[in-house]
Amino acid sequence: MANVRLDGLYKRYEDVVAVNDMNLEIEDGEFICLVGPSGCGKSTTLEMVAGLTSPSEGTVHISDTDVTEFPPKDRNIAMVFQNIALFPHMDVYDNVSYGLRLRSVPKDDIDDRVGRAMEILQLEGMLDRMPAELSGGQRQRVAIGRAIVRDPEVFLLDEPLANLDAKLRVHMRTELQRIQRELDVTTVYVTHDQAEAMTMSDRIAVLNNGRLQQFAPPLECYDRPANLFVAGFIGSPSMNQVHGRVENGVFESESFDVDVAESGVEDDTEAVFGVRPEDVYPAWRTEDVTEWSRGITTTVDVMEPMGDEIFLYLIPERLSRRGDAAVIEGEEGEQQTLLMAVDPDADVAEGDQIEVVFDRTKSHLFDAETGEALVHSLQPEPPEVEKGD
Amino acid sequence: MATETGLTDRTDEDRNVLERWSRLAILDSDRVYRGLFAVIVGFFLLIALFPFYWLLLLALTPERLFSDLGLVPIAFNVASFIEAFQVVPFHWYMLNSIVMALMTTVIVIVIGSVAGYVFGRLDFRGKTALLLAVLIISYFPPTAFLIPVFNLLTGNVEVLGISSPRLYNGPGAIVLPLSALVMPLAIYILATFFSQIPDGLEDASRIEGSTRLGALYRVIMPLAAPGVATIAILTFIITYNEFFFSFLMTNGEPENWSPIVWGITRYQGTRAIQYNLMAAASIVGVIPMALIVVLAQEKIVSGLTAGALKE
Repeated sequence: MANVRLDGLYKRYEDVVAVNDMNLEIEDGEFICLVGPSGCGKSTTLEMVAGLTSPSEGTVHISDTDVTEFPPKDRNIAMVFQNIALFPHMDVYDNVSYGLRLRSVPKDDIDDRVGRAMEILQLEGMLDRMPAELSGGQRQRVAIGRAIVRDPEVFLLDEPLANLDAKLRVHMRTELQRIQRELDVTTVYVTHDQAEAMTMSDRIAVLNNGRLQQFAPPLECYDRPANLFVAGFIGSPSMNQVHGRVENGVFESESFDVDVAESGVEDDTEAVFGVRPEDVYPAWRTEDVTEWSRGITTTVDVMEPMGDEIFLYLIPERLSRRGDAAVIEGEEGEQQTLLMAVDPDADVAEGDQIEVVFDRTKSHLFDAETGEALVHSLQPEPPEVEKGD
Repeated sequence: MATETGLTDRTDEDRNVLERWSRLAILDSDRVYRGLFAVIVGFFLLIALFPFYWLLLLALTPERLFSDLGLVPIAFNVASFIEAFQVVPFHWYMLNSIVMALMTTVIVIVIGSVAGYVFGRLDFRGKTALLLAVLIISYFPPTAFLIPVFNLLTGNVEVLGISSPRLYNGPGAIVLPLSALVMPLAIYILATFFSQIPDGLEDASRIEGSTRLGALYRVIMPLAAPGVATIAILTFIITYNEFFFSFLMTNGEPENWSPIVWGITRYQGTRAIQYNLMAAASIVGVIPMALIVVLAQEKIVSGLTAGALKE
């Protein structure tokens, strides 16, 4: 059992900084996800923990031992790779027992441990198969078997589910969680899929451009995103973000105004207003909302029925009055339409005019310049809200 | 139209073999290609195999019948194959050659694979320049090095008061220069093979508990088996067949590690050359090569199919 600590970790390549001042404290037995878009440095960070890449600066501690200069084999870690990386010239038994054989563990002991791992992974009877004869899911499980059989202190997973089909991915996701709970091993899991990160981990480390954006439990990242990037990255579909300005206690934008006087945000601030699609309500269903904003008249532009809910793309009246397509589309991909999630039985059609309100306790304001979150509620003291569904 | 070209004027019974064949060839062009293929392959086979046939003929003909020797065997004197070993300790020369070829192969594989790993899988400053230097060396004709290498290995070069080793009449005098000559090719081919093994496999091996070198020998080399086998066979054949260094670095005595080349020249006395024994010895000398090619071919093919199965 081990904790992992990254101190001021940097990785510089010739012209890029892949990882920029990474500080992380991962507790014993914790399951954390490194999540971020491609090229954000999450895999590099994992490789530095594994010892496959050496950091340009900073230290890595495992179990309070400085392992920065240790080769991978002396770190007592196990890793599952995105491309699975089973040795194609060895059968399942040889693959799984590879690490044990290298450490000259007695044969009986090896058989015992391999047997147990195969049981956990439901791979009994596959020991003499070659990797090429296995299905994708089986290969993945063999790779996990190879990792758990050595009883490592830290378990590193680099997008292990990325190459599996959607159905298998969801299955393996729960499987992995079960295994992790059973073994109670400190786990670092790299993924670009925020849904994986949300569902599996104890804490999420959101990375962007090599920098740590937020390191918090999934729901905190969701409900109290530290900045615009986290707000946009965590949650699907992502949070509505509207650029504007706080003036005389009112957030003013091209789309709508919101009274933000009670939030304590200073006047004369360039700000971004953020609200998740599920916190936008039609005005006729305000009984769900404890504190709501003033109604905004909008036109339904596009409907996306998902089955369990419908996503509505709304054009605020103020924008549509200007009738300028470019404004509605937004410049440089800046979002101008408002996304709302409604029940599937809601009586709306494309082209309808509806009035919507925001849940003020779940509306966010971000500093437009730095992107840092200013407030996560427009109420002075967010009351204990029980979300009705 | 057929009538104009005259192709159907006559029936097949009127034509000779050549005419019939050409008529069919005009109708079906594949016949021409098959025919050409047979002719060309036949020609090359003739060139490659005739010497062997001639050797066999020489070996089977007693010396006194040489003047009557034609293309058809006129005697069947198998005894020369035994006599060849009685006159000269040819088995000893063969053993020398085989041992030295094996030594060279081991040296080339061990050092070449490490160098191939470095060039194929690592990134470092000056890599291209270094690889190019290795290649340039391999372009020189080996003969160009002969005199300096001879001086070096006979203890005639002194560096800072330390004399170079005296390896003349020892295996080192042949194994070392030949290893150096084959090495550039080995490095180049192995680097190409190793660079194609996915990084993940090496990483996995290192995480599981091996060093880089361990990963090379346990994972990378087995997966690059066709390349390694190619280099091993090539090195063995080159060393076994080599004439120049083999001839000049030893004095011809079997106990002084003289190879097959020397053994064969030993049938040449001051007054007579025992051509039949020489031919018999040559044929025996070829047998290890033939065996290796047959066995190795299987190995190369199995290596290739194993490689095809990987993801």
